[in-house]
Amino acid sequence: MINHHPKLNLLIQHVNGELPASISAGIKIHSDMCKQCSEQIAELTKHEAKLSFSQTNVDDAEFGFDVDALINDITQTQPEPEVIPDNKPVAVTFRGVTYTLPNVMKHMELGKPAQIGKLSRSRILLDEGHIHSSLLRIEAGGGIPEHTHNGYEITLLLEGNFKDDMGEYVPGDFIVLDGNHQHQPVSEQGCLCYTVVSDSLHFTQGINKLLNPIGSFIY
Amino acid sequence: MQVVQSNVTNKFTGSVINYMASDTQHTDICLWLDAVATSRDKAAFTQLFHFFAPKILHISQSKLFDKSLANEVVQETMTNVWKKAHLFNSTKGAPTTWVFTIMRNVTFDILRKLQSNKEDNLSEDIWPMIEDQAIEDEPFSDHIEQKNILAVIDKLPKNQQEVIQAYYFMEMSQEQLAQHLDLPLGTVKSRLRLALSKLKEHLGEKE
Repeated sequence: MINHHPKLNLLIQHVNGELPASISAGIKIHSDMCKQCSEQIAELTKHEAKLSFSQTNVDDAEFGFDVDALINDITQTQPEPEVIPDNKPVAVTFRGVTYTLPNVMKHMELGKPAQIGKLSRSRILLDEGHIHSSLLRIEAGGGIPEHTHNGYEITLLLEGNFKDDMGEYVPGDFIVLDGNHQHQPVSEQGCLCYTVVSDSLHFTQGINKLLNPIGSFIY
Repeated sequence: MQVVQSNVTNKFTGSVINYMASDTQHTDICLWLDAVATSRDKAAFTQLFHFFAPKILHISQSKLFDKSLANEVVQETMTNVWKKAHLFNSTKGAPTTWVFTIMRNVTFDILRKLQSNKEDNLSEDIWPMIEDQAIEDEPFSDHIEQKNILAVIDKLPKNQQEVIQAYYFMEMSQEQLAQHLDLPLGTVKSRLRLALSKLKEHLGEKE
């Protein structure tokens, strides 16, 4: 059962379109697997819509265009035909293992997979500055050395499982970690994760220098 | 923010939430949207424009801190309302929610273009406008299937139609059926078997 959900304030920001694409996509992947959050998102959208359009103090709106001319222009355009979304699954392959990706990723460009040991990573090329998103694959028996985060790290488990000292995770779990957490995830059977990281990882054990390449690899 | 949170709490405790938009307003918006959808009614669109555009401008200005971008959101959103009016389904949600999602998606794509220089219009993938409809439409295909079966059942001899309908559609047991039709259990069983094999034949022919 999915145990980790996005917090309410994150859902409200999501509904209002105020989050980076990477985080909203993560919430979309989660809510497609979580009925409870998907219903809450629908409910929140209704609320935000009501709030937005119940303003009454807008009579003095000053448009930067000629309203009548715009209405004329718009009403001359043709209605849009109903397009059935192309839900052909997109897939990614890491070392011979192929994974089907969530629909929300179908227009996201992926970087070439790179490997360190039992970790494979493909960047998701969203161009969001210091926020880096990746697909991260841990091979069976692999893990990530104990670390903490300067910023935040969102992990959305897509397939397989992994665990850390806080517990075990299942596909659909939306896990948010920040500088208050230290963890050392390991995956017994292997897994694929969608990750959003806002700053490089900070390894907490003695051999920092040796691990630095992994830190930037995962970020 | 707090207002929203308390509203949500209200929802979960089951009490009624008061919205400022009145019912008449809601009905008007539905009628206008419908007039645009069915007859491309310019007067109705003008009404929609005067209701929504000033509010969209106000929201966008407070979000984007930029007048020309806010105007772009208004134009783009209202253009989509015109172009997509026929895709709005009033049984699946309020018109304000529908316009809100269009506005939110337009704003998101404009901001993303600005901040990441990407024109990938990801909003359609994150908040698909017709996805929920697709999910709810699924039982419809079953419905068609059922219609097919019903047509095929009509071709069966009457005594076989009887057993099939009672057994599958009224969910009677074979024993109940025997009692109901005043027939020996064996006869009911053989009629069912016969009817089923005929059904399979008919349905198979169609493929």
